[in-house]
Amino acid sequence: MIRIAAVGDVHVDKDVVGRYRPALEQLPDRADALLIAGDLTRHGTPEEAKCFATEFGGLAVPVVVVLGNHDHQTDQQQRVTEVLTDAGITVLECSTTVLEIRGHRLGIAGAKGFGGGFAGACASNFGEREMKNFVGTTEDIAARLGEALRSVTCDALVALTHYAPVPETLVGEPLEIYPFLGCYQLGNAIDSAPTALALHGHAHHGSERGRTPGGVPVRNVAHPVIKQAYNVYQLLSESVDAELVPA
Amino acid sequence: MTKQIDLEAEIQRLLTEHDSVAEQGITVHRRENQVVLSGEVESGQRRDEICRQVTSHFPEIEITCDIGITRAQAPSEVEEIS
Repeated sequence: MIRIAAVGDVHVDKDVVGRYRPALEQLPDRADALLIAGDLTRHGTPEEAKCFATEFGGLAVPVVVVLGNHDHQTDQQQRVTEVLTDAGITVLECSTTVLEIRGHRLGIAGAKGFGGGFAGACASNFGEREMKNFVGTTEDIAARLGEALRSVTCDALVALTHYAPVPETLVGEPLEIYPFLGCYQLGNAIDSAPTALALHGHAHHGSERGRTPGGVPVRNVAHPVIKQAYNVYQLLSESVDAELVPA
Repeated sequence: MTKQIDLEAEIQRLLTEHDSVAEQGITVHRRENQVVLSGEVESGQRRDEICRQVTSHFPEIEITCDIGITRAQAPSEVEEIS
């Protein structure tokens, strides 16, 4: 059994430091790792990244994150990544990590992802250079996420993105903005590997549960969706216990 | 004065693009003569800043700020994924 805690869109800055900490102090009794699905900060500054590291770092379990669109706002994503890495937090971008947990290997492949839309209402790689760049970015990130997922050898494989891989977890958002919230190419990438669970954020008004066309469970863990400090998911279960007793 | 038809768009962009706000998750609805802002943010300070910015940029509009603070308590349940 492996238990994963997950949340996204925590948007940490000075005013948030301390809000999550009481719940995070209890996390090692409830889960084996913490995965965070992007939008760690408000504007993506190194100072905000330090606030995030203060709040979410130094736990007794591994912390694995992807960046979100907010973390790119000031074009300092490389510096943000360095601040987080220096604090012992693993930052994935079309890359992987494998955690050894209770004799099991938990593989995580992560990428920010990008928009583009979903079947029947998606953008095409056609026309103006700006549009081709937009969809080209979508395709490139999804292709590299797929490669990352297929490269991992593990017992349980989790895909971690900021943008949504399916439209089901966007229900509640205006239909008009779906193309800015995710893309079907991420879902295809997730389905190209034996993924056990896909986690994403970004859609604050979306829904919690969905599945990829290939049947992989998808969970939108954006903080305003889950309405608690983090959710806990159990993989490789030997028995089911819905009560969250110490793991 | 802001054209009424653009009002929601202008408020939405203000809330996203103003450096002191940077919120993409606020919904803007017009209700008769009021504009209702709803959604959740991470702190009371952020909620107050949203109301302050919208009120100061659109002084002629009656604003209702129905924005909550997202709870941050530890969970009590686990979901088995199968």
